[in-house]
Amino acid sequence: MRSDLYFLAAIPPETPRPEGELPPWGEVRIVGKRLPRVDAFERVSGKAVYPRDFSLPNMLQAAILRSPHAHARVKSIDLEPAKRMPGVVAVLGPSSPGADMEWFARPKAKGGLLLDPHCRAEGDEVAAVAAETLPQALDALKAIQVEWEVLPFVIDPARALDEKAPKVWDEGNRVADPVIYERGDLAKGFAEADVVLEESYRTPCEIHVPMEVHGSVVAWDGPRLTVWDTTQGVYAVQGTVAQRLGLPLANVRVIGHYMGGGFGSKLEAGKYTVIAALLAKVAGRPVKLFLSREETFRVGGNRPANAIRVKAGVKKDGTITAIDWKSSGTPGAYPNNTNTAFQAADLWTCANVRTEEAGVYTNAGRARAFRAPGFPQANWALEQMMDALARAIGMDQVAFRLKNVPTVSQRRGNQPYTSTGLAGCLGEGAKAFGWGTKPKAPADPAIRKGIGMAGGIWGYGGGPPSTVIVKLFSDGSVNLNMGAADIGTGTKTVMAMVVSEELGVPVESIRIEHADTGTTQYATPSGGSKTVPSDSPAVRAAAADCKRQILKMAAAELKLPAAELKLLGKEVVSAADPSKKVAISAIPAFQRQQLVVGIGFREPNPDGKVINPFAAHFAEVEVNTRTGEVTVTRFLAAQDSGRVLNRMTFDNQVFGGVVFGIGFARTEERILDRQTGKMLNANWHDYKVPTALDVPADQATLVVDARDTANSTNTKGVGEPATIPTGSAIANAVFDAVGVRVTEGPITPQRLLELLARQKARG
Amino acid sequence: MISSFTYARPKTLQEAVELLAKPGARAHAGGTDLLGCLRDEVFSAEKVVSLSGLSELKTIVPSPLGLHVGALTTLAQVASYKPISGMYRALAEGAAAAASPQLRNQGTLGGNLCQRPRCWYFRGEFSCLRKGGETCYAYDGENQYHSLFGPGPCFIVHPSDTASPLVALEAKFRIAGPAGTRTVDAEAFFVLPDAEVQKENVLKAGEILTEVFLPAQAGLLSTYRKVRSRGAWDFALAGAAVALVVAGGKVAKARVVLSGVAPVPWRAKKAEEALTGKALDPAVIRAAAEAATAGAQPMSGNAYKVDLLRGAVEEALRAIA
Repeated sequence: MRSDLYFLAAIPPETPRPEGELPPWGEVRIVGKRLPRVDAFERVSGKAVYPRDFSLPNMLQAAILRSPHAHARVKSIDLEPAKRMPGVVAVLGPSSPGADMEWFARPKAKGGLLLDPHCRAEGDEVAAVAAETLPQALDALKAIQVEWEVLPFVIDPARALDEKAPKVWDEGNRVADPVIYERGDLAKGFAEADVVLEESYRTPCEIHVPMEVHGSVVAWDGPRLTVWDTTQGVYAVQGTVAQRLGLPLANVRVIGHYMGGGFGSKLEAGKYTVIAALLAKVAGRPVKLFLSREETFRVGGNRPANAIRVKAGVKKDGTITAIDWKSSGTPGAYPNNTNTAFQAADLWTCANVRTEEAGVYTNAGRARAFRAPGFPQANWALEQMMDALARAIGMDQVAFRLKNVPTVSQRRGNQPYTSTGLAGCLGEGAKAFGWGTKPKAPADPAIRKGIGMAGGIWGYGGGPPSTVIVKLFSDGSVNLNMGAADIGTGTKTVMAMVVSEELGVPVESIRIEHADTGTTQYATPSGGSKTVPSDSPAVRAAAADCKRQILKMAAAELKLPAAELKLLGKEVVSAADPSKKVAISAIPAFQRQQLVVGIGFREPNPDGKVINPFAAHFAEVEVNTRTGEVTVTRFLAAQDSGRVLNRMTFDNQVFGGVVFGIGFARTEERILDRQTGKMLNANWHDYKVPTALDVPADQATLVVDARDTANSTNTKGVGEPATIPTGSAIANAVFDAVGVRVTEGPITPQRLLELLARQKARG
Repeated sequence: MISSFTYARPKTLQEAVELLAKPGARAHAGGTDLLGCLRDEVFSAEKVVSLSGLSELKTIVPSPLGLHVGALTTLAQVASYKPISGMYRALAEGAAAAASPQLRNQGTLGGNLCQRPRCWYFRGEFSCLRKGGETCYAYDGENQYHSLFGPGPCFIVHPSDTASPLVALEAKFRIAGPAGTRTVDAEAFFVLPDAEVQKENVLKAGEILTEVFLPAQAGLLSTYRKVRSRGAWDFALAGAAVALVVAGGKVAKARVVLSGVAPVPWRAKKAEEALTGKALDPAVIRAAAEAATAGAQPMSGNAYKVDLLRGAVEEALRAIA
């Protein structure tokens, strides 16, 4: 499983053990409260400077020439006319120095190039221009003369393995050999079943649409490069940029203070950053290169479409006897993960399981990690199948699932979960939602109401490495220094709350420095819902290290044992006798030293156990059978993410995850033209992200804290688990309302009317 | 990117007409569609002629015969103006159902009627018939949002949510141009692609739609039902504007005009016949909704629209009954 997860390196991550074990917090003062974001004013007032807003003196603006074809080869390219255009300072083409660096590494063969004359998807990069102004750069792109050899293309993954299908890569369109997992005896499992169901499901290709488009500002200072990037991980970008440009890590500084959303699409370095660096080198001036919105639709990444066939057996008593899972997906023209099988093999108890996963290349935009990669797709198939199985044996959907809650991870050698709140999410969620009470039927018989639910698991719960520094100044103010990006989730806010909890200082007196490889400490990218469980224990350890030092100094001054003392912001007080106290400004040793530096590392996770967040979602929908319109009228998300550090940012994450899931279930889908392979809905209007009117006003969150103790803050993460079962719960509610199974998403009026027409024809 | 153009803001209609008569001139009302078209290079402009200085196009004037609505009235104003929402409910509902609040505050009634189609081939990097090319890509391509009615050879749907209500309400459009002013029926304003494949209406060079006149009709009932993929900021998958004159419990006159299913606001005359002379009972409503689909010719991806428009017509009629 570990290697399936996109954010894990082959080398097990590790940082030094923190000095001394930190026991779980007892009574908490600030952690868990609803606290507005520490940077809320900056974000809403426009004072926050995002990379897209950032400018340097003497900076050039750059733009990229891209393939208008799904599959084509550059027969010839003439950059000279562009070089003569007004304002143009630097032009790069496929033959320019550095343009032929390999970009998308493939396991067994050469990958694509930075500026590749063989374009395998619409939007592939061919040339780039830096000019005094953006309009000049765009005009210059138009002056570049390209003679294309347009090649046959394949965009349908179902046809990509046909013998006659055009080849995306010379050796064929299979990404890798299928990955197969088996346990138990599938045939025996199906033989034991009272009911066996089989169904094929398809999920849409969703496009990344972060509010801030992808891009960077870069500047050279001799051999040193500084990059202002809109990124989820400054260290990840530093690593790739240094490696591709042959620079020492120390000479690449990546800064990413504010960023306008990534959702997985900004976990890695973009081509745009390296292209900008090459242009800046040629020009000898800083360069800004941001994609247009239309470019992000084509090349900013997507959630790969999956086709999943599931066969499953169940006994009348609700025992799941067998699951046979076959999944395929397309990462587009370049490698990426399209796997889905983990949930099928881990979410519910089942002795006999076989999963098979495969990926095929197509001439389309490349997939990227996308808020719980693979998980909503898998959940769409698995949880609709579970709904159908429960109905087939006449068992309540929640009761059926409660019977099958595992205590160990079957997919990972039956290791126990450090904690599981799955049963709590199901049971408490059902109670809070009012599951079992049928919604009142509307007066108009063509309008039907239904309820549905689904359970879910996310694959990871954080871990090392993470290093954090907390500095306590002589006046009691604090500097929190960490490498993690705040990708809009409230990372800065919750980490400041952890410091506040530990040191007793108010959040307002904590200044945060973060996401800068030049000045802050190592952190993995903010992705995988692991920033809180990975970095908050390191933050706590760093604050605790500060506290240890200050208490030691106070102990000498008060002539009391350090163990008896408590740090309460600006004072150290004896727990035994509160009259014995000293202001930290009056501790001579501290005033001589002026600054206490605490270093915190992320402790290792417990051996022999696995950490996972869980969820159960409950939806009520209204379906108009005349028009195929579906309205989600009520929603409840029950989440086991361990301890909640800030209920307000937690709710933000869960509501955001549910809105994301509504897009997946109802509105979002990339459309490619079968005649040309070009994307047809590469704009905000045709690519339909849900609006406020598509989201129920009646939306609730439920915290199910299974009291995890795997790390010192008892946290597990929420960003991704909050979107995993959403779509399935909605699809199950639609079935409840109208009795048709929407196996192929999203549930548009088109699909629903087609299915209702078929239902009517069957009688 | 938008290529360079010059900009003029005439003070009089006469001046605007003269400027717009020149080749390469484009009218700018709310600009919500114009800017998108220029940016996406759907067409270019040498001169953009702002109509914002023509205050006489921004008025709503009631008369005993009906209501004169200036073409520069914003969609938000049309949606909320009481005499419109009272007497001409279908129009107010159409305006309210268009676009998003921001766009309705900026976009005008005239602009909504004259906007270019949303066909993704027309808007995209395709040299299609409507842009002077050789082929309609929708016919063999991705046509789930395209037309069910019309003669071809282009299969756009008209994007306006106010056009169908205005045809149903028997509105008249006043046009100013180099040869003076003329008035056409709303229905006659829109043209099918077999007549003019690169235009959606009868406006000639230099002509400006200046006013929409809504005639007063006793016993008039109307409504607009729009079906879309998401709750806001979306064009119609299909819609139905219905205007009925009801007298003595029976439908004396009916207009049923469909949106989102044809290159022009499409009169469902069979449905109108099915209603005329009848009381609006459920059986009549169902029969009329069924009749509205008569003559539909689905392509590979849009057969669902037949069911959808039947549903939209039925719901519109139920809302009136």
